[in-house]
Amino acid sequence: MSTKKLVKFISYGALIIILFLIPLVITGPYQLHILIMAGIAVILTSSLRLIFNSGQLSLGQGGMMTIGAYTSTLLVMKMGWSTWVALGAATATGALLALLVGYPFVRLKGIYFSLVTVFLAEVIRLIAEQWRSVTGGSLGISNIPPPDPIKISGLLEISFTSKVDFYYLILVFTLISLLILYTLEQSRVGITWFSIRESDSLAESIGVDTTKFKVLAFCIGSLFAGLAGGLYSQYNSVITPSTFGFFYAVYVLIYMIVGGGRRFSGPIVGAVILTFVPELARILKGYQPYIFAVVVILIIIFMPEGLVSMPDRFIKLVTERRGHA
Amino acid sequence: MLEIRGLSKYFGGLAAVNEFDLSINKGELVGLIGPNGAGKTTTFNLVTGFLRPTRGKIMLEGNDIVGRKPHSVAKKGMVRTFQATSIFPNFTVLQNIVAASHLNPKVVFWEAALHTSNSHKQDEHILSQSLGIIQFMGMEGVKDTPAKSLPHGHKRILGIAIALAAEPKLLLLDEPLSGMNAEEVSETVGLIKRIWQRGITILLIEHNMRATMSLCQRIVVLNFGKKIAEGSPEEIKGNNEVIRAYLGTSKYAT
Repeated sequence: MSTKKLVKFISYGALIIILFLIPLVITGPYQLHILIMAGIAVILTSSLRLIFNSGQLSLGQGGMMTIGAYTSTLLVMKMGWSTWVALGAATATGALLALLVGYPFVRLKGIYFSLVTVFLAEVIRLIAEQWRSVTGGSLGISNIPPPDPIKISGLLEISFTSKVDFYYLILVFTLISLLILYTLEQSRVGITWFSIRESDSLAESIGVDTTKFKVLAFCIGSLFAGLAGGLYSQYNSVITPSTFGFFYAVYVLIYMIVGGGRRFSGPIVGAVILTFVPELARILKGYQPYIFAVVVILIIIFMPEGLVSMPDRFIKLVTERRGHA
Repeated sequence: MLEIRGLSKYFGGLAAVNEFDLSINKGELVGLIGPNGAGKTTTFNLVTGFLRPTRGKIMLEGNDIVGRKPHSVAKKGMVRTFQATSIFPNFTVLQNIVAASHLNPKVVFWEAALHTSNSHKQDEHILSQSLGIIQFMGMEGVKDTPAKSLPHGHKRILGIAIALAAEPKLLLLDEPLSGMNAEEVSETVGLIKRIWQRGITILLIEHNMRATMSLCQRIVVLNFGKKIAEGSPEEIKGNNEVIRAYLGTSKYAT
């Protein structure tokens, strides 16, 4: 058991070190851009899975991301807040909005919950589009300043002028987010969410305030969506009301399903690989979306448990072959 | 322990439960019987907060619990099982019980989320307690089996085990014997008796008359939402009203 833990610890450590060394090898700004987008997608997909663990599928996380992006941007550009404080505010806004709508929303189950989250995202998009004096209308806001430089005199100076700086920024936030999400999932709270997904009336019958725990999952998931939105706006320097529309939410759902919703690693693998697939298919130009669709359909047909089930399936296949021989 | 006074529930114009009175003392094992559609399960749903009564009073250990949510009723010590098999299908048997024990946490959210030493100690306590319940229910052999692949009888027993893990003072069993074969029935009857001997008060809905008669000291009979009889098994067996409810009026019986 302890050696197994040690191996796990070392391999995760190695993986993290490799992630930190990547900019030494990959220096192209375009490649780094893809990696940064993959990191943001990982935060969003993993937080979507946390909501999913409680038996609810939110299709409104794009809206939460939009709220986060606008909150951060407006606080920095109109109120002159520090970008770091604004990022915190963006994170909090996602959670607060989820708390506000959570109690009425979680009364609805299954597809009905998903539908109202779609509407919520639409409402957010429309507000961002129509409230022109504040949000700049459908053209959005551009020239968003990058994060304030981090200066620890003589030790560290990050100015966020290059893609490499942003790569590290997103990497650190992604790792912290994953750590928090993983700890939550392994905790008693996580067990409670899983049992609600398994059977919410049974959980309720033995003393779980299922409403509270569902709202909690929605809040925490939206908190990270708000964070992802804030990070994106500071990185991209442009946001529009439709950057994270309904299709973005569907993409995130696809990332989760393709990666495998049953395991923690699923959304991470799904988000990273599916961010790369369209890029690899770039030479095919107009056919890019078709390639994406074909890959997704093949994975869903042949690996319904997602990409992360591949090692298990492989082992099973090999042992079965041996059994026959 | 439980006092029900004038409990009524109307679905539209239909009285599913009508002016129902029942009192259960601590340590009793009471049976609730009646033909299909008599309102037995509706009574359970009303008492445990899954449905809101139209009228009536429900007192659990002196506290009015009308309008409370099911989870809050469960925390007060009254836990019910379901007629339809109700388990956490993708968990193993042990995980089912552990989850159920987790779910009545006296632990603060942050403590649980951050794995503080206190919650670690509680985790160990929960594990040993869960293993105890599994042993008590005779499920050691299947403790690592996913619940969904258990045979029907075991699933039903697991349903009861989950309720037990929530540490009830009053246990409401909704047709625990349904769909079981003769052997499973006699096993489960023994189990219910042992649970009762542990000091847990039980209210039992069951269609298996022989089992109900042998288990319960007192039986309450419902028909069309109304209590038509109450008494010892012998009294119930000889009650004309009850015979009529089950077999029809003499006009058709003869």
